[in-house]
Amino acid sequence: MLVQVPGGWNPLLGRLAIDQIPYTNPILAPLFVAVVIGAVIILGLITYYHKWGYLWKEWLTTVDHKKLGVMYIILGLVMLFRGFIDGLMIRTQQVWANGPQSSGVFGAVHGYLTPFHFGQVYSAHGLIMILLAATPLLVGFMNIIVPLQVGARDMAYPYLNALGLWITAAAVALIMISLFVGDFAHNGWFGYAPIFELQYSPGVGVDYWIWTLELTALGTTLGGINLIATIVKMRAPGMTWFRLPIFTWASLSANIIALTSFPALQVALFLVACDRYLGSHFFTAGFGGNLMLYTNLFWIWGHPEVYFVILPAFGMMSEIFPAFSEKPLFGYITMVAASFAIAGVSWLVWLHHFFTMGAGPDVNSFFSVATMLVGIPTGVKVFNWAFTMYRGRITYTAAMLWAIGALFLLLVGGLTGMMLAIPAINYMVHNSVFVIAHFHSMLLVIVYAIFGSVLFWFPKVFGFKLDEFWAKTMFWLFSAGSVLVFVPMYMLGFMGQTRRLDYVFNTAWHPYLVTEEIGIAVYCLSVAAFFVLLYVSIRDRVKNRVGQDAWGTSRSLEWLTHSPVPFYNFAVTPHVNARDELAWRRHNGINEAQPTQYVDIHMPNNTGVAIYIGALTFVLGFALTWRMWWLCLLSLVAIIALMIVRSWRGDPGYIITAAELEKMEREAMQRQQQVEGHLPHHGGQAVPGGAMAYEGQKVSPLGTPPSSGGDHH
Amino acid sequence: MSHGHDNPILHPEVQMSSTRGYFTGFLISLVLMAAATAMVSSHAFPPFGLLMVITICAAIAIIAQIYFLLHIDVSEHNIWNTVSLVLFIPLFIFTIGLTWWMFSQLYLRTMPMMPGMH
Ligand code: HEM
Ligand SMILES: [Cu+2]
Repeated sequence: MLVQVPGGWNPLLGRLAIDQIPYTNPILAPLFVAVVIGAVIILGLITYYHKWGYLWKEWLTTVDHKKLGVMYIILGLVMLFRGFIDGLMIRTQQVWANGPQSSGVFGAVHGYLTPFHFGQVYSAHGLIMILLAATPLLVGFMNIIVPLQVGARDMAYPYLNALGLWITAAAVALIMISLFVGDFAHNGWFGYAPIFELQYSPGVGVDYWIWTLELTALGTTLGGINLIATIVKMRAPGMTWFRLPIFTWASLSANIIALTSFPALQVALFLVACDRYLGSHFFTAGFGGNLMLYTNLFWIWGHPEVYFVILPAFGMMSEIFPAFSEKPLFGYITMVAASFAIAGVSWLVWLHHFFTMGAGPDVNSFFSVATMLVGIPTGVKVFNWAFTMYRGRITYTAAMLWAIGALFLLLVGGLTGMMLAIPAINYMVHNSVFVIAHFHSMLLVIVYAIFGSVLFWFPKVFGFKLDEFWAKTMFWLFSAGSVLVFVPMYMLGFMGQTRRLDYVFNTAWHPYLVTEEIGIAVYCLSVAAFFVLLYVSIRDRVKNRVGQDAWGTSRSLEWLTHSPVPFYNFAVTPHVNARDELAWRRHNGINEAQPTQYVDIHMPNNTGVAIYIGALTFVLGFALTWRMWWLCLLSLVAIIALMIVRSWRGDPGYIITAAELEKMEREAMQRQQQVEGHLPHHGGQAVPGGAMAYEGQKVSPLGTPPSSGGDHH
Repeated sequence: MSHGHDNPILHPEVQMSSTRGYFTGFLISLVLMAAATAMVSSHAFPPFGLLMVITICAAIAIIAQIYFLLHIDVSEHNIWNTVSLVLFIPLFIFTIGLTWWMFSQLYLRTMPMMPGMH
């Protein structure tokens, strides 16, 4: 042992002992039983239908960016649900534990959660929502869409991509297991010195928190490297920088932030780990440590991080508005510039999270002005979207509704952010629920953009549209829930309710708290509507099939290939002639032009190494948390060994021959014919200026009638 | 073909790596860390002097690592490394510089002066 830990420790199990399993907890024990039963049923079903082989070959070992993206998104949605349950528990506790007369059950004096348990719930809620729900959802979308938008066959590093997913999954598994083995941190999602020091948090909760964050940071950094490399190096011929679709630009700016800021988080947490494991004093009050240094290091990452999550959401909105306004995006160049301005300024504002530290007027003014500067590029974006819709032919699809909702939330969140950026106001409302309402407005922008994107790109990935009626029902329920929860929260913030209260003393606030609880109930309905949406859409999938351009008004390159996208993305790499390539092709009548000739293509092989390493990082995190040193060493050595073996063997990839490709393409086109009533044609009509539809393949000369396929059918 | 079949061994960044370079970088950082640790634990200088000395050690270690381990220089075949360097320098200055500034302002208001820091 490096430092003396309270409680027992033995060389084999570390700090793990039977009394660390909360089998007497009236909430966790039944939940555990339910989880076990659910898991047994799912595993039983997979075995019964002999799906293990399929699951392993097609999903768990895949390096296909679309499947990895889908898994990221499923992971994110599951965690969004878990985080929602945490939110529901927090709201219920506050409305219940209101006033000295309020009752208490399950060992709590007021409400149903003890303060210690309540602390774990809100810490897990914040960490999960930002890092394990929003981030995987966004990374998932970037994974699926960016390679398609730049006309690549896959990411620059397919295997690294799989590794990023499985390390993120390991982080998810680690935080989930903290429910049933030991407990979780109670220091909030961002942590405070010195409460997370061993002296004040002797349990394993903080350790779970450290290693969960470290693992997500690692997974996200790997993903960021991959996306940057893909955008820089893998663009199709003709895809110049200023023809890049705007979502790709947004992803690039976001991942530059990720790549440059996540190391700060990793270092900050590593130093916390040094304090807890090695007995150092980086963040203690004595021995030369500095409490605020932790807060400083954390927010050096923390503020760029919030822009890392919002920028892709802005990118999504920038794709949805033009498609359903039937106009090109207004102010493309300014949009790109705004993304990078936001990314740049996001580095200069982190102190606004601790104006009250007391660094004095000079420092606070500097950071206040810097923070308000962010409003300029953000405003540019808002106006660009408004002008995109202005005099457009708007169709209010469900995706469009979500995007418009996001725009309104952005206004609310951005303006309250501006208020918070004024130190004089900040001193009044810092750490009140006003701040909570501010950043929930902002994070809801992301959630709205994500649901809009789910609807918008679902047909691209799966080949059929989601049901519009249920999608809109869900939208309206969700929006009603948001208003009911967060408007009273802004008010309570002004009235002085501080954040993270396990007991709310002021009974005058009861009506507001009840309204918030009603909002949560409405949110529950919207969750139900989401499940109905999935059920109805999958039931009617044949009826809702789509061709390559699912919406008929789509603009960028991803809509050029079949829906669902074949695993090789594009049979022949397209040649890009314009910004908004598909809109350009539609305008010139060659949007359905198919390649006239196929060549062999080279694809990466599946590999199990990524999921093995992911599993081992989970073991490593678990062993570190419980201080089982032998297991730490073992899993670390195993990870390194696997990495060496993998790099030694490399991946020669495999070849899809032109003949195989042609066969698959013909089938895809026949599917499309069933949907659209006609076959897409080969070659294409003449287009101005010697344009090319596919690399190295000329479009038929002027005057040639559109070929209907001829020799291929 | 979207990704090349060219031999990765021929990439300039792989060509630049050599056992000798890695070993030198590793050794330099190891020696500097050991030196810093030794000076701190033996209180070789007054506190403020110590701070300065270990900061200098850290700076040299960083430069050695950037050069020997990451091969970041300004040559033309490594243009992307130069780009990342150009991105890194302002970020480094901002984060360290602003942190320094805010904490010096904070200390003015909250801390007794450190001995040796007049
Ligand atoms: C117009 C842009 C924005 C401004 C001016 C702004 C301003 C602020 C300020 C001053 C605070 C500190 C409040 C306090 O603790 O006293 C804050 C907190 C926060 N903001 Fe923003 N913000 C903006 C955009 C965003 C965005 C885009 C996001 C995320 C998507 C976001 C997420 C957060 C979070 C998570 C916190 C609080 C974290 C915590 O204390 O737990 N903000 N914001
Ligand atoms: Cu911030």
